[in-house]
Amino acid sequence: MTGPVQVIVLGFDEPSFTGEVMAELTRLREAGVVRVVDVLLVSRDEDGTFETLPAPPGTDPDLGRIAADVVGNGDPDGSPADDSWSLADVVAPGSVAAVALVEHLWAQPLVEAIRDAGGRPLAEAWLSPEDRNGLPEQSG
Amino acid sequence: MRHAEAVARLVPKQLQMTGMTGSVPYYGGRLSPAQAYAASHPAAPPPPMAAPPPRSPTPPPPRRDPVAALDELLESGVITEAEHQELRDRLAT
Repeated sequence: MTGPVQVIVLGFDEPSFTGEVMAELTRLREAGVVRVVDVLLVSRDEDGTFETLPAPPGTDPDLGRIAADVVGNGDPDGSPADDSWSLADVVAPGSVAAVALVEHLWAQPLVEAIRDAGGRPLAEAWLSPEDRNGLPEQSG
Repeated sequence: MRHAEAVARLVPKQLQMTGMTGSVPYYGGRLSPAQAYAASHPAAPPPPMAAPPPRSPTPPPPRRDPVAALDELLESGVITEAEHQELRDRLAT
């Protein structure tokens, strides 16, 4: 594991795992941009409990095992620390979500360069689509 | 909603919040979920200082056998034979 790994949680009305998304992620992987470490499907019952869902047909039956180890195996009686989060904070009861671990291969050299320059992170966020629309095209 | 094909229960783990370039101390200008939880669940006040343990009381002197005490009083002439007998009768009751 070399690059920063992002946890992306996506909500669905029903379990979904489209081939289009995987095809695009495969293309990015081949381009050395990102690597999908694992994808896990979970459901949350109305009582708040989580259950993992089986891997979609045609995929590796072990799909989701790594992600389940990362985001699961928690302490049911534990209280969150100041700088922590969990699936319980973002997945509403009675819904289904996909949890993707995505390694940003492109970012590792950048992170090392920032560290070598003595930089320290103060904030990170994604621009909203509205703010992105305000950017000049082909900037940079 | 329960999904019949669910395979295993999962207990969410608390994950440390961090950015791509490292730990970002500020969470988008809002309270993080953990901070919100802490704000709505104030810690219990610390217990008052514990009182010092009570001093162990001085053990009472061993109780003397009353019959022996009466005998001693009789021998020393403090009480008469009749008084001695009367007091022994009281002890017996």
